[in-house]
Amino acid sequence: MSKPLLECRAIVKRFGGILALDRVDFDLYPGEVHGLVGSNGAGKSTLMKILAGAIPDYEGTVLLDGQPVNLRDPHTALKLGIAMVYQEFSGIGQLSVAENLFLGRQPLTKWGIVDWRAMVSWAEEYLHDLGIKLDVSRRLDRYPLVVRQMVEIIKGAYRGARVLILDEPTSALSPPEIERLFELIRRLKSRGVAMIFISHFLEDTLRISDRVTVLREGRRVLTRLCHEVTKQDLVRAMVGERCEEMAMADQQVVTLPPPSQNPPVLAAEDLTLRGVFEGIRLQVAPGEILGLYGFVGAGHQELVQAVAGAQLPTRGRILLDGQPLPLGKPRAAVRKGVVLVTADRAAGLFMRGEVYKNVTMAYLEQAVGEWITARREVMAVQPVLERVACSPPDPWMKAGQLSGGNQQKVVFAKWLLGPVRVLLLEEPTRGMDIAAKEDVMRLVQDLAKQGVAVILASTEPELILRYAHRIIVFSRGRITASWAGETVTKQDLMRAA
Amino acid sequence: MANWRGIFRRWEPQDIAPVVSLAALIVFFSIAAPGFFRWNTLVTAMQQGAVLAIVSAGLTFVLLAAEIDLAVGAVALWTACCCGWLFQNWATQTTEGRFVASPGFVATVIVLPLLTSLLLGTLSGFLTVQSRLPSFIISLAMMFISQGAARYITRGQAFRVPELLNYVGNRGLEHEGLTVVPYSAMLAAVIMLVGHIVLQYTRFGRYVYMTGGNRQAARLAGIPTGVIVTACLAISAVTAGIGGLVNAGRMTSVTLDQNQDLLLSALACIVLGGTSLFGGEGSMGKTLVGVATFTVLNIGLNSIRLDDFARPFLMGVILLASLLLNAILSRRQQWS
Repeated sequence: MSKPLLECRAIVKRFGGILALDRVDFDLYPGEVHGLVGSNGAGKSTLMKILAGAIPDYEGTVLLDGQPVNLRDPHTALKLGIAMVYQEFSGIGQLSVAENLFLGRQPLTKWGIVDWRAMVSWAEEYLHDLGIKLDVSRRLDRYPLVVRQMVEIIKGAYRGARVLILDEPTSALSPPEIERLFELIRRLKSRGVAMIFISHFLEDTLRISDRVTVLREGRRVLTRLCHEVTKQDLVRAMVGERCEEMAMADQQVVTLPPPSQNPPVLAAEDLTLRGVFEGIRLQVAPGEILGLYGFVGAGHQELVQAVAGAQLPTRGRILLDGQPLPLGKPRAAVRKGVVLVTADRAAGLFMRGEVYKNVTMAYLEQAVGEWITARREVMAVQPVLERVACSPPDPWMKAGQLSGGNQQKVVFAKWLLGPVRVLLLEEPTRGMDIAAKEDVMRLVQDLAKQGVAVILASTEPELILRYAHRIIVFSRGRITASWAGETVTKQDLMRAA
Repeated sequence: MANWRGIFRRWEPQDIAPVVSLAALIVFFSIAAPGFFRWNTLVTAMQQGAVLAIVSAGLTFVLLAAEIDLAVGAVALWTACCCGWLFQNWATQTTEGRFVASPGFVATVIVLPLLTSLLLGTLSGFLTVQSRLPSFIISLAMMFISQGAARYITRGQAFRVPELLNYVGNRGLEHEGLTVVPYSAMLAAVIMLVGHIVLQYTRFGRYVYMTGGNRQAARLAGIPTGVIVTACLAISAVTAGIGGLVNAGRMTSVTLDQNQDLLLSALACIVLGGTSLFGGEGSMGKTLVGVATFTVLNIGLNSIRLDDFARPFLMGVILLASLLLNAILSRRQQWS
């Protein structure tokens, strides 16, 4: 093989006391697609942010064409030819395709005015060379997501980027769309553009990449040619071989309790939100914790939002005690005791408001009565704050002054004031330290013991395996597997996702 | 125990800043204008500030819910015009040109226009919620509609308003033949007090704060945010209508040039008091301080010897200075 285009040598990055990257080596040859996989927190995004210039203070060397380079900011990285294509950032929808391609470097006429004609014809020509036929003067947001992603990728290549970092490019795409994207990647490859393909979707990664690297807990654990490895090998490398001797051993193989004999309290029938999830059928019984596992964008998180009324499904029914629940109406759901704890705590809290106001918000009448005074509210709130172990348990603090974990406890405290029957959790412990995580999840278990039905949607297999009584796996908006009363491993979950 | 801490904690820099500004202005004008610090000035302030206070009270609800109502001035004008038009067209006139009006008739020509303002407010609230357009746009259209309707029915003429409104606008509790407390100020005080009680002690009031503070969180907590927004805009339109009627009463008749500065003055008052333009933060008490500051500034500038044409300029500069002061003090504590 020729000389590597990009080489990372012994990259180390610490966040506080935590080692995010531990002497990671990584290389990339011209015209190569190099897959990068690993669980959440394995260090993929940290490494990519370093390459894109978003994290300037790292240890180790990055070589480009054999020359050491200093990636001190995103602008420098771009100038050196390293461009990042983010999953969620896909161009400016209000501008045309051509304008997006030429953003910030529009061709000018001799009068100093944007040369629209040249812009359109060059853009058409360039897209045509890559085998894409589009009306380049149409607005970008008129096109589906795959086109927007492709335009973003092409923009990077057109500006002379030699290294493109693709972050989760296939997670929101359907199989034929993935095919279109792969076709573009192959064409760019043949022109010598090197790409780093970051994905949770192992099959996609193996299909398009030449080599694949697995990171685990900040270390590189595997780099192999793709045709030499299987999906199983990757999963094993991601999870770790030494699982038996590790402290988390009990989480690796879990025997689920026998399924609940109680009649279901809540059932979803043929629930569909177009483009997000399709034909979902599930039910949950009182006292049961139903775990929904899937990658980001698999649709399980949106499903719990839809059950809570926060999103309006296109089709289907939600039954509570056999009675249909109005769709897309959080008020109706809350009144019936179907409540949601969102991953985004900013969506559940009035940060500038006092803790007690946040806690009494949902069940103001039940907790305080008709005449609202701060004294009454604080008296109602104090016990639940202590019950959720919020620290400090001070109702007068502003919600925004609390740490993330304690903010989530305040959200829980809010629901403890009312008659909760179905608790919907969307990534309830995201970004929390271990102690706070334990506190929050113990609370969830307590509630389940009292007969609350819980649906726990998460992208963390450990969380699901540890707490769920029954597990359903989502992949690309559909249910692909489910387990009840049997043995299940982390590998099983990840293979189904 | 915790309650005492709460009471002290409620006073934070950005709460005190408007009060400090107000005190500073009063001290300044007392020194700069010898005749300023007198009971009489207070009476003038109450008379001038009453309409502003009434309108600001309603508009405070809208701002707390993180919306805006640009139609308050126009709705005030429409309501007054509607009242004047009804009064002149329906009342019987004596040969000397005086209007004869029974109490029931007066009540009708006052209540009916207020009902139309309620309708206008409810409509803009409904449209804002249903169309998901910003209330800025909807109320802007409502502003033109109300203004146009007022122009259409009055045809540019002045209309007399019932004697009762004159009375409320110009008279008050008297002591030795001098007005001590104007009725208009008493009306404003009642409205603000009711507003304060609703905001602080009722569920509706709390829902207004939550709707403005974080609409998504409020919705997920089961608060009917659409109803709250509609109600706030309706309240604002009714108080605007009352303000317009009182203003017309002060002038004894209604003309199209009335209430032109009302919207911007009311907004300035609310923000001067420290209520956030982004919702969720503020109170009726703050609005009262804001109205007082604005009125003191107005009267004070009129009582010092000054070039008449320089006054609006100075007014703007001082307004800007106090707004910046408030903003700087409140920026000290911000969380994402």
